[in-house]
Amino acid sequence: MSTPSQVLAKKILARLTAEKLVTDDDAKKLATKMADGKLRPEDWKLAIEKAAEKGAKA
Amino acid sequence: MSTSAPKKLTIEHLRGSVLPFSLPFEKGKKLMVIYGENGTGKSTICDAFEFLAKGNVGSLDNRGLGKTNRYWHSLGKKPADVSVTLETATATCRATVGKSEVIVNPPEHRPRIEVLRRSQILSLIEAKPAERYAAISRFIDVSGVEASEAFLRELIRDTKSGREVAIARVQENRDAIQQFWEEAGKPGVDPLLWGESESKRDASAFDSEIKAISNLYDAYARLADYPEQTGSAIKNLQEAQNSLDSAQQTIDKYLAGVSADAAEIANILESAKAYLSKHTEPSVCPLCESAEKAHGLTDRVNERIAAFDALHEANANKIKKEQGVHLATQQLEILEKNALQHTVSFNLCCTSNSWPADILLPGTPVPEDIAEWSAWLTSNAHLSAEWKKAETARQDKKQFLSTLGRAIKTCTENTLAQKELDTLLPNLEKALKIAEEERRQFTDATLAGIATEVGRLYEVVHPGEGFNKISLELDPAKRASLEIGASFCGQATPPQAYFSDSHLDTLGLCVFLALTALEKPAETILVLDDVLASVDEPHVERLIKMLYDEAVKFRHCVITTHYRPWKQKLRWGWLQNDQCQFVELTKWTAVNGLTLVRSVPDVERLRLLLAETPPDPQLVCSKAGVILEAALDFLTQLYECSIPRRAGGLYTLGDLLPALDKKLRTSLKVDVLNGADTSGTPVYNTVPLAPYMDELTRIAQARNVFGCHFNELSFDLLDADGLVFGQQVLELMSTLTDGDAGWPRNSKSGSYWATTGETRRLHPLKKPN
Repeated sequence: MSTPSQVLAKKILARLTAEKLVTDDDAKKLATKMADGKLRPEDWKLAIEKAAEKGAKA
Repeated sequence: MSTSAPKKLTIEHLRGSVLPFSLPFEKGKKLMVIYGENGTGKSTICDAFEFLAKGNVGSLDNRGLGKTNRYWHSLGKKPADVSVTLETATATCRATVGKSEVIVNPPEHRPRIEVLRRSQILSLIEAKPAERYAAISRFIDVSGVEASEAFLRELIRDTKSGREVAIARVQENRDAIQQFWEEAGKPGVDPLLWGESESKRDASAFDSEIKAISNLYDAYARLADYPEQTGSAIKNLQEAQNSLDSAQQTIDKYLAGVSADAAEIANILESAKAYLSKHTEPSVCPLCESAEKAHGLTDRVNERIAAFDALHEANANKIKKEQGVHLATQQLEILEKNALQHTVSFNLCCTSNSWPADILLPGTPVPEDIAEWSAWLTSNAHLSAEWKKAETARQDKKQFLSTLGRAIKTCTENTLAQKELDTLLPNLEKALKIAEEERRQFTDATLAGIATEVGRLYEVVHPGEGFNKISLELDPAKRASLEIGASFCGQATPPQAYFSDSHLDTLGLCVFLALTALEKPAETILVLDDVLASVDEPHVERLIKMLYDEAVKFRHCVITTHYRPWKQKLRWGWLQNDQCQFVELTKWTAVNGLTLVRSVPDVERLRLLLAETPPDPQLVCSKAGVILEAALDFLTQLYECSIPRRAGGLYTLGDLLPALDKKLRTSLKVDVLNGADTSGTPVYNTVPLAPYMDELTRIAQARNVFGCHFNELSFDLLDADGLVFGQQVLELMSTLTDGDAGWPRNSKSGSYWATTGETRRLHPLKKPN
């Protein structure tokens, strides 16, 4: 059974993906880290920059 | 975690179980109601569940006992004697008391059990907001996401700070470039464009010019010393020549004093000196053998040898002077040769480069005669300083371009960094906004879901009372603080302020059920210990119905109660019974501990009495009579039949049977559910009740004769007459009621009375006129 943090992390990442702020691949990788409170500033930065870069290329 | 149905709970020497006590669970029934008067051991059973699942005995908490584990075992037993074993369809799990904690074996089969006791029912309602939050936090605890969210917030803060620094640096770079541009005389219109253009210039061009100028400067500098060095060399040669001449003159003077064969004579004198050193005073000359001048010969030989030594010395001196002249001549020649080479180098420097306009060269070439160099050097002395100045200017220019290039590079990098941050920052802020929104929505939705469920349960017990608008809200001003609200007379209010104790009890139970149902209900055994105590009569039936409905969500539900009407209603089959296993505890004793008795509904008991061999007509008639009275009481009330009013409301069959008049009897029919057809539509057999009523009216006297009193008339009757009465009552009850679904009391259809699930449909709805 998922914890509230795990459920919420999935919801947040789904919206971030829909808004193209995070890539689909990263969303899957980051869910556990986010739920565990271990999504550190550098992780956020990398993920959001990567999505922006991908968006710019598309 | 297992979801299999429990089969048996065995309690050994825990609290009131002085002897091993087993509680069997009926297969297929998910609700167990344990009825017992106070002091029969209900709480011991609840303790056993809690001991097994949580390693605690909650009934002893908050009694001022301190650490309670020393009171867990039965009197006269030791902690090591305590054990609780739960057998399920798939596993067996046993809990015992260890040194410091309860040991469960195997631990993976430890059941998940939630226990709510009477004393705890108001705990969540009356708790402080923070304690209330703690109780509910496991459903809304998103601290992990909050921590990740805090990291994002930290990143935004740092990014903003970094962006401000980047902006300041870009401005500093632009100011520096502006200054360079102004120093360069403001060429063009845009300092940055100028700077970029300038920084792209090739600095190696300056390097070659600087090197050429440096070579020219050095070549010129090397010429400068030659006039003095040459003069000095000539002077040295002259002086050497003079010394040689002087030495020659000295030799000439000595030569004048000696003969032409002086050398041969000198040899003879040296031989004589050697001879005379051995023959110091010869009497004759050893050469001519004359004795004339033999005396003093040695002295005279020595004097003549001395005259020849001075000549030697003069000769040696002359040779030395000749060498001096030769050396001075060589030095001068070398100097002249070097001067010639350096002249060639300088001229090459002058001619082999394409000199810029600011580099001036000597008007005339270097003179061939070194003696003329001084004048030539003097006339061109200013050029050397000009060249140095030109070299320095180029060094400065090179340095400037390098500095400008660095400034442009830094400016470009910082501008790029700022642009990247300008792009990143809005995305970060948008991500944070989404995370915050989702978190709030999630928490609000979870709380609203719980509150809605609490309200739904509450409405089942208190329908239409307007107390159902339950709300759970996080206090935005406080961390981890949960407020509970309700609607009272249309006003939003804390329920504790206006709700009665009974309403608060129900609310507390509803909150517990709603929360427990949120987390793995199919794996959870729900234990409710005496939670009906303060619920008033009008609500208790609905509360029981609500518990029946909710129990099916859980792995199993155990309810203890001392509410006697529940026992009676189950006994008479008035309650839906299909999911419910009813067990009864008799009085606890210090010798036997807990004792279980089986409660059998009266209709079932009648069936058992009839099945005995041989059946006892007295017992059958007695039981059947009471059951028939209950059935007639039910029907006469349902159809509002006329009965003589009597103090105490005690009516006999003689009062009740005639109250069902012929018109009503004829119209009384029961649809008995008999499965479903292939399309799933229920199939009913319709059974008229009139034949039963008519026959029972005819033989009702058997009840009085056999079942009520000692009566000699019974001596003349056959036992079969009494048994027929019992059989008729049983058939009537089997038609009218359902052992699992109860009695037809529900009129929601609008055309008949029905049991739960419409297993029986009693017609008509109203007594015919």
